[in-house]
Amino acid sequence: MSVPGWARAFLRLFAIQGDWNYERMLGIGMGYAAEPLLDELRTRDPARHTAAVVRSAEFFNCNPNLAGLALGALARAERDGVPGEQVSRLRIALCGPLGAIGDRLFWAGVVPALSALAIAAVALGASVWAVAGFLVAYNALRIGTAWWSLRTGLREGLQVGGAVGRSWLPRAAERVGPVAGFAVGLAVPLAGRWLLAGVKPSAMVLAVFLAAGGVVLSRWGGTHYSAVRYALIVLILLGAGGMVML
Amino acid sequence: MTLVLCRVDDRLIHGQVLVGWGQPLGIQRFVLADDEVAKSGWEQDLYRMAVPQGLEVVFATVASAGAQVRAWDADDRRTAVLLGSVEAAAQLYRAAPSVVRRINLGGIHHRPGRVERLPYVYLSPEEHRLLTELSAEGAEIAGQDLPTATPVPLGSMP
Amino acid sequence: MSPLDPGTLLLLLAWGTFVALDLVSVPQAMYARPLVAGTVAGLLAGDMMTGLQLGVLLELFALDVLPVGAAQYPDHGPATVAAVTAAAGAPWPERMGTAVLLALLLAVLGGWSLQRLRHLNAEALHGRAAALAAGSQPGLRALQWGGLGRDALRGLLLTALGLAGALLLRSSSPVPPRLQGLLAAAAIGCALASAAAGAARSAGRGKRLHWLIAGFGAGLVIAFGLG
Repeated sequence: MSVPGWARAFLRLFAIQGDWNYERMLGIGMGYAAEPLLDELRTRDPARHTAAVVRSAEFFNCNPNLAGLALGALARAERDGVPGEQVSRLRIALCGPLGAIGDRLFWAGVVPALSALAIAAVALGASVWAVAGFLVAYNALRIGTAWWSLRTGLREGLQVGGAVGRSWLPRAAERVGPVAGFAVGLAVPLAGRWLLAGVKPSAMVLAVFLAAGGVVLSRWGGTHYSAVRYALIVLILLGAGGMVML
Repeated sequence: MTLVLCRVDDRLIHGQVLVGWGQPLGIQRFVLADDEVAKSGWEQDLYRMAVPQGLEVVFATVASAGAQVRAWDADDRRTAVLLGSVEAAAQLYRAAPSVVRRINLGGIHHRPGRVERLPYVYLSPEEHRLLTELSAEGAEIAGQDLPTATPVPLGSMP
Repeated sequence: MSPLDPGTLLLLLAWGTFVALDLVSVPQAMYARPLVAGTVAGLLAGDMMTGLQLGVLLELFALDVLPVGAAQYPDHGPATVAAVTAAAGAPWPERMGTAVLLALLLAVLGGWSLQRLRHLNAEALHGRAAALAAGSQPGLRALQWGGLGRDALRGLLLTALGLAGALLLRSSSPVPPRLQGLLAAAAIGCALASAAAGAARSAGRGKRLHWLIAGFGAGLVIAFGLG
């Protein structure tokens, strides 16, 4: 029994960023994932197949969790015999919007929301279960999204944009932002209390002072501030100073 | 004085632009100044769908953006103008140099004939020459993908 | 400190490599988040609590990261594995500060290595330009597997370096006791600043900012008001 092409493409979606590079970004990963979807053209229309494979690996970038929409829609367009120029135009036009909506939904929404909730749960005593819950929740969401994306793309072809616009995606991207904001707000004091539980009051004052100082610097320090740079400088100065004085 | 960003980015609106720039700068209006998109209804639908509710999205040709940019800068909505190419940026800058002032190079991707200047900025010799001219005319040109990244002035690009 | 046996170190090396691959290449399942990378490393090293603590602390740094486009961002996964290796088995907060310092240095190095990888991947592309232009599927496959292989190697080297650093820290004597608490507190303060500043930045000025403030208030009440 052979595995259907869309199922193999679905699995390859999880390595869509496997050859991330500055020239084509997700291009090679997209081409690799498109291979099983374009197979039927190989015998039906070999010239088209070759042209489609070339196009399938060109520049592409969007949020990896939504790449299935473009992958499916472009493969469908190739199989339907849409003129090559139009396929390329769709490919380029999908990059920005799918990136915008996916980054809002996942990188600025679902990920910080779930991560912060997991931190809060650990701080309230949930231990490894919070970590397991984080993994299960995130992966259920993104695997479901990838599945939906590929099926929707394959079904809609050139009409994928309208289908996404009518779907749950824009609304979800809209709603998850405030949730993420609330969750991170909630997690910070809880994590602070949990992590500082064993330290002396004087050290606690230092932590609160540095936390407030970092926030202030990030607001007015411009591009010179980065969280990691700030922490490295603080730790190195404090460590060196402490070793000399203590 | 509400024109807060003029950015050359061949993907126009994407995650970096909305999440990276839009939220921290409190941008209320995105202008997509691109001749191709200005005449393509389905592409406009795509971009509109990706933008949060309550944000204004304006589609304009580069010429009409050049004519309106003073008005955008003068009203009270914080505005970002996104341009798809270096040529479009030059056209906009020359239409209103005192308003545009700064040009951000945010994403110009590889294409045959272009050379890497920054990981996210590839320029052909013609594009580089055009930017150098604009710089001589007074434009402040720098590469910067995110507001938290250090800007790289055109003159310091390899 | 009691030495870690070679089998455990090998497991940690494998875990760090896997975690590095997860960040961008495959399977992007969020194993690379410090909370996950650290907790599992703690379990492997036989000290889950240290894994969880360093996981939460470094996760606060990761909350500041927006992995978009070509932007350079730190790679916290293998760094967290190294930090947990450095501190596992020690009483809190003896090794906390130094472990975080090691993690942050490695995270920066990891971010740099990602950029190098992306250039190397582009060079590999040039080598197969003709195959790509001809629509060769074997060429495409070779590029994809090449990219994955290079990222795995990147993760392996980064983790190996991190573990070497961790073993060096384990074999050296700890900083004076008073400094241990101060360093840990400083690391925690900076981590809290990172998460809060990142959240404020992505909240901008709209509705999301109000929710952030509301969450912060609720967190304060739960953390300090109810006890």
